[in-house]
Amino acid sequence: MRGVVALLLALLLAAPAWAQDQPLVAALSTQEVRISTAFTGEAIMVFGSTDQPIGPGGDEILVVARGPTRPLVVRRKIKALLFWVNGPSARFNEVPGFYAIAGTRPAWQLLPEALRQENGLGLDALPLTSTGSRSPAFRAALLELEKASGLWLEDAAPVEIRGGRLFNIAVPLPATVPTGDYKVEVLLVRSRRIAAREEMSFRVERVGTADRIADVAEDHAFFYGLVCILLAALAGWLGSVLFRRD
Amino acid sequence: MQVYLPIAGISVDAMLLVGIGFAVGWLSGLFGVGGGFLLTPALILIGIPAPVAVASGANQTLGASVSGLMAQWRRGNVDAKMGGVLTAGGFVGSLVGVQLFALLQRIGQVDLAVSVFYVVVLGTVGVLMVMESVRAILRRRGAVRRRLHEHFWMHGLPLKMRFRKSRLYISVIPPALCGFFIGVLSAVMGVGGGFMLVPVMIYLLGMPTAVVIGTSLFQVVFVTANVTLLQAVQVGSVDVVLTLLLLLGGVIGAQFGAKMGTKLRGEETRALLGALVLAVALSLLWGLVKKPDALFSIGPAL
Repeated sequence: MRGVVALLLALLLAAPAWAQDQPLVAALSTQEVRISTAFTGEAIMVFGSTDQPIGPGGDEILVVARGPTRPLVVRRKIKALLFWVNGPSARFNEVPGFYAIAGTRPAWQLLPEALRQENGLGLDALPLTSTGSRSPAFRAALLELEKASGLWLEDAAPVEIRGGRLFNIAVPLPATVPTGDYKVEVLLVRSRRIAAREEMSFRVERVGTADRIADVAEDHAFFYGLVCILLAALAGWLGSVLFRRD
Repeated sequence: MQVYLPIAGISVDAMLLVGIGFAVGWLSGLFGVGGGFLLTPALILIGIPAPVAVASGANQTLGASVSGLMAQWRRGNVDAKMGGVLTAGGFVGSLVGVQLFALLQRIGQVDLAVSVFYVVVLGTVGVLMVMESVRAILRRRGAVRRRLHEHFWMHGLPLKMRFRKSRLYISVIPPALCGFFIGVLSAVMGVGGGFMLVPVMIYLLGMPTAVVIGTSLFQVVFVTANVTLLQAVQVGSVDVVLTLLLLLGGVIGAQFGAKMGTKLRGEETRALLGALVLAVALSLLWGLVKKPDALFSIGPAL
């Protein structure tokens, strides 16, 4: 966090110099989020500055973070005789594993609807195509469940403005955040148009023991299975020797 | 203390896992069973995905049974030949079971299947156990000697083999079939199956009580090892961090439980175990019958 403050300060001092050549400058607090065995989530800071004052009547800022996509199935439970079982389902092919959007104001207030949909700004503007059941309830359920898990965020907190031209926002990544490459887009909105955009990226990866275990389990599944058997047997035997109570 | 489970992909309180391991280990030590049938539902209850709970449950049962097998082996209470036949059947059964599991996962019915298996198997076993032990408690005074050996259709089957330690000369088909079914259950439910194998060995195969526990542990260790390997290769859902945390609590709990178990009488213990088994079955049944809180669920597309 000290590093972030230092960076913000540096930006504040350098801002007038940048202002001439670039309308928007932005940066991330880190390029790498490491998931170790003690990982419980982390916040990534997005910050930057503009060449004109930010705020009502002036420039506005939108920040969007997108995680890697993966295919998902949404299932609906139905009552069959006595039991509740998984019934109809819809498959969504490219679902972002993480999506967060925040702005100085909500995106729908800043941009014309067509422009917002085109750029995928907002949960209702995500390009989610599905096969299977056609009911819109599945898409709504997907949104609800992803929001509940903390992996999809919409206007959780507004982008903060400091000193008129500096902005910053903390994007919280929960413990269940998927690994992969993330893209962060910062948009400068001027008179209901996107005047400038800055694209950045960061990586979420497992490190240390957690990473080695997951890698071995994936790439050498047979060997991993054998190790699991041996470790469990060894732990069981060792435990009974150490804690024998007779 | 939160710990990140690399295969489950979630953070869980490590002390909670050790605590669950301890409680299940204590009960399993008390009753002399592996405890997998309590562990897997408990893990699902705290939010571990069902595939990981089943696979890691099997892995944990393996660890929990190893020391018991070694102790029984030293006392010469293991019929390795009978254990071998049971295990051979169990290997085929667990192979079939893991295929079934992978299929269920593709069609999105793992949670339902695991629950239904538990309700049916535990419900049946629980009822039988309670009835049997109540009957035993009632007629404790006028004990009737059971005939050592009763002949029925099973003894007319071919492929007879001599099992010296069990003092039996029977066809290999019934034990191999029993092994097969318990192998399937082991793969789908993440249990060792000792709680089912023991009555089968006593009442169906007619094995002497002295070798039953040791021989069932023999089968449990090898079949859960096979399930661990198959689940790791085919489903990729064995979480070694989860297994080891559960074992840490489990082996300690088992020692305490075993000590307390020696103070209880046989019939009472079995009646209690039967009641516990029934309680787990009923709570899972309730989970299937009551209207779910969330009608929709998401899962990875396979």
